[in-house]
Amino acid sequence: MTDKPNFLPERLALLADLNAAQYLTEGLLSGKEDAPAIALNKTTEPLPHDGESRAELAPVRDLIDDAMYQFRDDRPTNADAWLAPRLHATLRLTRREAADRRIWNYLALGVAPDYVVWRHMVAKSEDGASKVAVRRFQGPAYTQAFARLWWAAELFRDGPDYAPVVTVCGIQDMLNTGLRIDMVDHRPTAQAMVRLMDRGTVRTGREVNALVAAINASAATLMYDVIAPDAERDGRPLREWIEAAESAPAVPRRDLPIGPYEEKVPERSVDVLAVHFAALFAEAPVRGRPGADEEAGGEV
Amino acid sequence: MRAFPYQRLPGVVSLRVTSVELRGPDDIRDPLDTSAFSAIEQVVAPGSTGRDDWEWLRMKVSATVPGRATAPDSPWTDLAVVVVLSEGATNTRISTALTPGAENGRKWEGQLDLWRADHLDRATMSVHVVATVDGVAGREIAASAKDWIIDLKAEAPLRERELEVVEVGFREGPQWLRRFQEVPWAVDTSGDLPVVHINKDFEGVSDLVGGNGTSVDNMVRDLLIAQMCTDVWTAVFHTAIGDLEIEDDGTPLFPRDWRGEVLREMLPDVVPDLPVEDALSEVHRRRTGTSGWTDLQPRIHYAATRRGDVPKALSATIRGLDSIHRGADA
Repeated sequence: MTDKPNFLPERLALLADLNAAQYLTEGLLSGKEDAPAIALNKTTEPLPHDGESRAELAPVRDLIDDAMYQFRDDRPTNADAWLAPRLHATLRLTRREAADRRIWNYLALGVAPDYVVWRHMVAKSEDGASKVAVRRFQGPAYTQAFARLWWAAELFRDGPDYAPVVTVCGIQDMLNTGLRIDMVDHRPTAQAMVRLMDRGTVRTGREVNALVAAINASAATLMYDVIAPDAERDGRPLREWIEAAESAPAVPRRDLPIGPYEEKVPERSVDVLAVHFAALFAEAPVRGRPGADEEAGGEV
Repeated sequence: MRAFPYQRLPGVVSLRVTSVELRGPDDIRDPLDTSAFSAIEQVVAPGSTGRDDWEWLRMKVSATVPGRATAPDSPWTDLAVVVVLSEGATNTRISTALTPGAENGRKWEGQLDLWRADHLDRATMSVHVVATVDGVAGREIAASAKDWIIDLKAEAPLRERELEVVEVGFREGPQWLRRFQEVPWAVDTSGDLPVVHINKDFEGVSDLVGGNGTSVDNMVRDLLIAQMCTDVWTAVFHTAIGDLEIEDDGTPLFPRDWRGEVLREMLPDVVPDLPVEDALSEVHRRRTGTSGWTDLQPRIHYAATRRGDVPKALSATIRGLDSIHRGADA
């Protein structure tokens, strides 16, 4: 299996797509080779926030080590719910910074290729050869191994509260399709979807997909921003949270970390949408029988 | 034309940014000069101030709504006018409700704050008229046809993007460029925006591209730039079409960043006579299927050449050369 890099610098860095591409060899993707750590680190660029504590590499690597250790006898998919909030609270990025794919390329190839292989190796049915998809190392935010976790935490946290993120990561289809649809950019919509999952109204991957399709159709003519208004966006709590990274200890391993003290999503708005979504879901066609595939649905 | 199961508001809904103010951490307040936002282009470019220490900006906006919306006999109640600002690259969406102003409910006003850390490149802003129709609350009954753009990267409020050009020596430059040390330029389409790298190690090319010399120099320069633009358009098209997200039923989706813009712009030339959504499916089918991709290449080339202004630059060069020859003959 692909191993932990034999060289880890002190700071995280940026790895451009074109430079990353040359390390995505068959050997790495099939988990037989390591990424050449020293050569790779010669092609990186420093982070814009290189001088800050949140650019340190060791806390991120430690966290990933802990995730792999804790879920060593478990299904690696189960590590998502544990890692997503903690990765988010360790990196402390703005959305502007997180939209730069180069940081995710670096995490996947320079910091933890072994994690990507461990988490995303899928057995090929034809010849039995296992392989990791390229898009887990380098690709859009909803497929890349670390970007998907970070964005799931960012879009589904309720202000400082990461509990909804754990719910979302519990159903792989929610994590996979949730990040691809524009509607979750509206916080009350995201929280109302979580509420339906918490209540057990939607549980399986197929149910989640049916719900998402129904919401998508409904959002074409309804403005959720009006029927379920969000709190006004204020960027100060995020800035303060990022500044506090200088003195913050490592993220807690047992309890959930605490995110930026942004205003929570208005309860009333979540109520309104949860009722609306439940009504939509009641009429939505669900593939197969409800409850038939409790497992992680269409996980790939 | 889409069909709606309820009555929509006919007429034009328009949005206007009336003032923009930059705010910094030390409570700096800097109203933007009107040259930093353009009502014609519908673009706000805070970068044109040259200031880099702002943390957020406040826009005062006003929307004009057809008078019929508030007519006493209208089928709509609980009328609301909201402005939505979003950027796909950062999954950010914020909105604000406007309040009715003068002109008998035709004009609505309000303000919207944009936080810089939430955005990367270009945010778009649109206005929506929402009402209760047939007992259903929150129906969108009208929306602005043309979005405003808040461009965080540009230095001037222009809708059309300028090509990002970087001059760099390929021999000692970034790793991936070293293999290309003999070529005058290379196009990188992997990042947030496509970038043209001009090879400083290729003697004279920087001066030619950046310079303003004799009329012959300038003709060659314009031709070269047209060629470069064609390369870029070709490269961005292939990048965009090669990295599509596919729905479960096989329908390809438009990417949410510049790749989507490129496709929407070029597809009408690549597959004429089809709506862009269908054109995208068609091109995707041909690329991934067993046939039809080769046939498409001349059309992609055509679309790129047109956008690179090759015909214009070339005919100007030919005419220019003609007149120089005539001058030499005389």
